[in-house]
Amino acid sequence: MEAVVLSQALREYTRAKRVAPWLLLALGCLGLAVVWPSLMHGAKPEDQYASVSSILVFRILALASAIFTTAIVSQEVEQRTIVYLLTRPIERWRLLLFRYLASVAVVALLGIIAALLTSFGAYHGVAGNPLLANDLKAIIIGAFAYGGLFLLVSLLFNRSMIICLLFAFGWETSVPNMPGDLYHVSIFSYLQAIAQHPSAAGGKLIDFASGALSTNSITEGSAWTTLTLLTIITVAVSLWWFSHFEYVPREDAE
Amino acid sequence: MIELDHVSRWYGQVIGLNDVSCEIGPGLTALLGMNGAGKSTLLRIVTGQIKPTTGAIRVYGIEPFANPEVYKKLGYCPEIDNFYEHYSGRQFVQFLARLAGFSLADAKRRTEAVLQEVGMADRADRKIAGYSKGMRQRIKLAQAMLHDPEIILLDEPLNGLDPVGRREFIEVLGQLAEQGKCIVVSSHILFEVEQMTRSILLLHRGRLLATGDLRVIRSLIDKHPHQVRIVTSDPRRAAELLVGLPNVLSLRFDRAGEALRLEVREPDTFYDSLASLVLNHELSVQEFTSPDNNLESVFKYLVDA
Repeated sequence: MEAVVLSQALREYTRAKRVAPWLLLALGCLGLAVVWPSLMHGAKPEDQYASVSSILVFRILALASAIFTTAIVSQEVEQRTIVYLLTRPIERWRLLLFRYLASVAVVALLGIIAALLTSFGAYHGVAGNPLLANDLKAIIIGAFAYGGLFLLVSLLFNRSMIICLLFAFGWETSVPNMPGDLYHVSIFSYLQAIAQHPSAAGGKLIDFASGALSTNSITEGSAWTTLTLLTIITVAVSLWWFSHFEYVPREDAE
Repeated sequence: MIELDHVSRWYGQVIGLNDVSCEIGPGLTALLGMNGAGKSTLLRIVTGQIKPTTGAIRVYGIEPFANPEVYKKLGYCPEIDNFYEHYSGRQFVQFLARLAGFSLADAKRRTEAVLQEVGMADRADRKIAGYSKGMRQRIKLAQAMLHDPEIILLDEPLNGLDPVGRREFIEVLGQLAEQGKCIVVSSHILFEVEQMTRSILLLHRGRLLATGDLRVIRSLIDKHPHQVRIVTSDPRRAAELLVGLPNVLSLRFDRAGEALRLEVREPDTFYDSLASLVLNHELSVQEFTSPDNNLESVFKYLVDA
């Protein structure tokens, strides 16, 4: 039954209507990587790739995660189709877990496509890109971590998509740049620690957009540990919560 | 099969279900009540979508909330008209069959069987978005029946069905009830329910007003004065004849003087007498209505009682 949940969710999340905007954004990464040298004179392929990846690819990852993860439960509740899922002989936690895994897979795939296209823009291929392997690892753990966090938020709050989008766009852009140790409360800072992008010479605006204004002292090892723990905790709490609380359309619960 | 023990459910300050205790066994039981009576709340509690605030609910002795064991034995047709609109009817039912635990081959076989049963087999490949209300109802019924559950709960299932569809559907329910399944059908239309079953649960403002055989409840009501309105071409002559009937308690003309308003006891006996009167005295009756012959008057009677 888990395979059914997973395959149905994958089919649902990979519908052309759903993924088309994200593929267009991924093409935007390619375009930006191609034009980057004319925007930043003398930029090396490494700078091209690292800047576009930090500014766009990881943003796409966070935003896609916000959109896809909130669809796991909130969208089903809003379109009132949740009743068909909750009245089937399958434990709620299994239902949620496999739908979460499907959304993580799709979000990670979109992030990987964006990273590959950026690499093509900067290096005209993937072979000579020394940053790509770390970026792909960061994208995969990032999809899990953002997904876990947004899943929990979507179960705890109404209109969770707004909260998740604000987090993905506002929090994740501004907090890594804040002075002191505040960057520790941003997932993006840990992804940067895993990706290990070189610091690009591009001025304050580029540094702000790529979350590099503040000095990030997180090590790769602690980044992996933190994001893994964050994923496990948020997903475990979400599974417990979903199994113990009611999920009915709001108008039915009033 | 289903036991409710002093079940109450609050939605914030509003009570949805108020201290309801009852048992529902095999056969067809109608859950009657006007909009907002608590029918859907009761069905959501039985289907384990929500928990009672106080009291206990047991389905086959098990608490139903989020309990897969209960869902193996339970089929639910919700009142909502929402689907995965981009699915075809067949895809939708087959997906839910797979979620019910059927292998792909069995899911296909069961899907085909239930689609035949609800009369949708030839139209099930179209997208649900293009379905009429009646077709959507049939697909909801199909998904409720597909795993051959022991308990089938149907929330306002006749909404949107055409007369032929209603008749077919009532027949299907009758057959399932004869097999010993527990069928609970919620409705706010007494006329619909009378065609299906005589076993009812009557809810009003969250309270269980009456439970049992509809005939018993109706006979209790029949002892209560009923309002009858008769439109005739000769109201004075009709009044003269009607006033002599033993069941007529009072009679008055309406404002235009074209219709008579009567208060009668034991309406069934009165209707027989009225038929004889029309035939024997060639009385012309153009219109004949009883505002009391509806669910609201049943409630009014029971609430007043």
